[in-house]
Amino acid sequence: MSRISAFFTGWVLTMVCASSAWAQELPTPSFPVPWQLNLQTPASPVAEQLVEFHNFLLVICTVISLVVLALLLWCAFRYNAKANPVPSKNAHNTLLEIAWTAIPVIILVVIAVPSYRLLYYMDRIEDPELTVKVVGNQWYWTYEFPDYDISFDSLPLQDDEIDVAAGQHRLLEVDTPLILPTDTDIRILFTATDVLHAWTIPAFGVKLDSVPGRTNETWTRITIPGKFYGQCSELCGINHSFMPIVVHAVSPEEFEAWRASELAANDNTPDDANRFAALIQE
Amino acid sequence: MSTTATHAHDDHHDHAPKGIWRWLNSTNHKDIGTMYLVFSVVAALVGGGMSFLIRLELGEPGIQVFDVVGEMMGSEANQFYNVTVTAHALLMVFFVVMPALIGGFGNWMVPMMIGAPDMAFPRMNNISFWLMPPALVLLVLSAFMGQGAGTGWTLYPPLSGLAGQPDMSVDFAILSLHLAGASSILGATNFITTILNMRAPGMTMHKAPLFVWATLITAVLLLLAMPVLAGALTMLLFDRNFGTAFFDPAGGGDPILWQHLFWFFGHPEVYIMILPAFGIVSHIVSTFSRKPVFGYLGMAYAMASIGLVGFIVWAHHMYTVGMGVNYRAYFVAVTMAIAVPTGIKIFSWIATMWGGSISFKTPMMWSIGFIFLFTVGGVTGVVLANAGMDIAMHDTYYVVAHFHYVLSLGAIFAIFAGFYYWFDKMTGKVYPELAGQFHFWTTFVGVNVLFFPQHFLGLAGMPRRYIDYPDIFAEWNMVSTWGAYVTMASTVFFLVVTFFVMIGGRKSVANPWGDGATTLEWTVDSPAPFHTFEETPDFTGGNPAAHPAE
Amino acid sequence: MSSSSDFSRRNRRTAATAFVAVAGMVGLTFAFVPLYTLICQVTGLGGTPQVAERSDHEVSTQEITVRFDANVDRSLPWDFAPNERSVTVNLGAEYLTSYRSTNLSDEPVTGISTFNVTPIKAAQYFTKIECFCFVEQTLEPGQSVDMPVTFFVDPAILEDELANDVKTITLSYTFYRTLDDIPDEEPEIISQADTVLTTARLGGT
Repeated sequence: MSRISAFFTGWVLTMVCASSAWAQELPTPSFPVPWQLNLQTPASPVAEQLVEFHNFLLVICTVISLVVLALLLWCAFRYNAKANPVPSKNAHNTLLEIAWTAIPVIILVVIAVPSYRLLYYMDRIEDPELTVKVVGNQWYWTYEFPDYDISFDSLPLQDDEIDVAAGQHRLLEVDTPLILPTDTDIRILFTATDVLHAWTIPAFGVKLDSVPGRTNETWTRITIPGKFYGQCSELCGINHSFMPIVVHAVSPEEFEAWRASELAANDNTPDDANRFAALIQE
Repeated sequence: MSTTATHAHDDHHDHAPKGIWRWLNSTNHKDIGTMYLVFSVVAALVGGGMSFLIRLELGEPGIQVFDVVGEMMGSEANQFYNVTVTAHALLMVFFVVMPALIGGFGNWMVPMMIGAPDMAFPRMNNISFWLMPPALVLLVLSAFMGQGAGTGWTLYPPLSGLAGQPDMSVDFAILSLHLAGASSILGATNFITTILNMRAPGMTMHKAPLFVWATLITAVLLLLAMPVLAGALTMLLFDRNFGTAFFDPAGGGDPILWQHLFWFFGHPEVYIMILPAFGIVSHIVSTFSRKPVFGYLGMAYAMASIGLVGFIVWAHHMYTVGMGVNYRAYFVAVTMAIAVPTGIKIFSWIATMWGGSISFKTPMMWSIGFIFLFTVGGVTGVVLANAGMDIAMHDTYYVVAHFHYVLSLGAIFAIFAGFYYWFDKMTGKVYPELAGQFHFWTTFVGVNVLFFPQHFLGLAGMPRRYIDYPDIFAEWNMVSTWGAYVTMASTVFFLVVTFFVMIGGRKSVANPWGDGATTLEWTVDSPAPFHTFEETPDFTGGNPAAHPAE
Repeated sequence: MSSSSDFSRRNRRTAATAFVAVAGMVGLTFAFVPLYTLICQVTGLGGTPQVAERSDHEVSTQEITVRFDANVDRSLPWDFAPNERSVTVNLGAEYLTSYRSTNLSDEPVTGISTFNVTPIKAAQYFTKIECFCFVEQTLEPGQSVDMPVTFFVDPAILEDELANDVKTITLSYTFYRTLDDIPDEEPEIISQADTVLTTARLGGT
């Protein structure tokens, strides 16, 4: 399902420092292909497990549907009025009734085991090294790195600002993407300023509501560098369709370079902001 | 309410009142049933037309329909799209499926099936119906008041609050739902009373037809779920107009509270829409297989357990709001448990056909279509029940595909099945078999082409309630819209044929379906006389509608 | 006709029962509002912390990090931020920190805050002793105040197999303008960026 093709990204990183040349040629490893049939290529451990679990469910679903279809077709073939002019009067079969109660229970248990393993895995957090806060607004996202005093709005690009030749996608591009390091446990906090929004990157297996007046938390660990897209997933009003999410996943070193340049631009380096830098130098 | 139904009609003998007053003042369950069905068709034209507009819009990337339509309605494209999506859902749920299945077939058939002269409270029945047209008017008005209610049918605050939708349109929608809810509560009371107290002598509950069971369970669900919606809507109305803060964090409220209340109503609501369909399909499968329903008691109690469990699964609609993992784990378990009684029903229908002598008449085709497509919608429901998996699916087209498989291809298929099954009984006319078959096959192909690709779109990540989508999703959307063309053409064909059959069809007989039809409505003439039974049927010696064994 | 009136009495009794059930459900719905708050407080649903007078726990050697997060609603012209970004405390130990609010406008403004704790599963172990949430605060133009928060983290979190992975808890506040204090004219809450976007999408309406 993956289309690994490099895109020339022609956005202008006006808010990002000019030294960010590293971000110029990011691939889009999880971008859907035409006629895509299944989930996007996973780019995090959670998403990998989601794909695996879904493929498992898909087999079960298909088998159940086909069994029901086969039984119906067999009835149509064998028990149509021509083939079987005299109907049986049979309306009970205790054994059969027990069987079709018990077998679905067994199937459900078979589903439940990996389902719960996945659910509790998603809930269990190593202590993340980086915290990013996502704020939903009508109709754009605001990103903050509270530990570094970095905060910026990520505004969608309009159709006439899209450079298709440069590999940009209509309705999916923003002026300032969220930059995140790969191979790093990242804590993501969500809140909203006006109505409900939901932030998602399907390739990370992350989707959580932004609720005004409260904070939600989840985590991710990006395994592949690249450019990842998502779209607001909770109806939020007129421009619900037009508040895309873009994440650039870069190596920790590149992330550190970006962070340093941001802070230099802000001219505002808090003392405790070097924790991440210290971590990646270890 | 002091006189019973029989008493009220005594002085009319067998003549139906004439003219418009027959309908405005009707206390006759069949006339009211007919009005519900006509009402539901009218609402379906509006609601279905809206869905067609949505599919036209999504047929290709970009905004090409709603800019024009929005301008015509004096609204802006994106907002009017949200308004349309919202109104489509509310219309289909409250003004098409419920009035058709419960108000229409329930009113027509339940009293006949249990051998009762009419509903327990005929005049309350009249009120139940006549609350619906004003509710519909209010809903349609809400689309024209200001910017319209573009909140989604779930009406989540704060978007449905003053901050999100400042003008009156949401208030109109709330009042519309209040009226529809009041109508449902009165109707549910009427059905419960009728079914519990007015069954023919000798007809114990364990001898009652499954559609009667289905209607009873549905009525109980309505009675317990609708007041919760009414309460929540009232809170929302107060938040919007009287300065309370049930759902406003600025006043100490919580928007998530709304979601709990809404889905406590909303999940039973989906069973309210599907249980009568289960009942109808059971009758049809039995009739055309010329066999009694397999595992009758299991079927009845499977419906009862689905209804019961329906009250404790609500938060599986809320896996992404930020809920503790143990809560999610609980909702996964109970939600998946519903698959068991649902499976019992599917397999019992197949077992009813097994060994039967099946004639594949139009109603039977719709029922078989129902069984298969409901299975497909059911297994995707099991996928969605997994809170972990749901992270990938929530608010994508996968969910849209899932609930259209169980409702559009489930409940609506059952409505068509019931329509063709009881058409002779309700109109006294014969529906041309070939036209019915053509309608079935074209709709079957159409809706599958329409909804199946939406699974793929959802998996690939296309969110729902989007007026425009990234170009990468264009292909499957195009296919989906082709399906909408086929479905729409099929529906137009159905409406035209039905119109001509109504004005000039052949006269039908009391029982056109032969010895498989063993419920009481087939013992009386077609169309069923204004006063159904000359003498009350008696079940003490067995089912008087059963045909003697050959 | 006596059987007929028996019949109608039975019907009325059934209908009356049904209406009682309806009234009961409406009552339950409204009763659910305070009940929901209670459930949140008891179980930590939605990240609601516990409340206590003091920490009765023995101070553990185990440590946990608590981060402080602040949000301000757009209708409130305040600056609102924690005075320390995060702190590492021993489980069971009381800790006092504070947030600072500053009224940036030229009129007195009253604010009120909501709060919660994430990860949600940690909420039932996070206990606040004193805080400013749900208390109205009026600030004069330009006035700054420090608002204290005292809390501790229950050492029982270590015994919870589901929650003992939590090494960092985030305490988050959101300040709103109180509903009584909202000015009559609609406050100008649309940011510059938002306006541009809206116009572009609305086609100039």
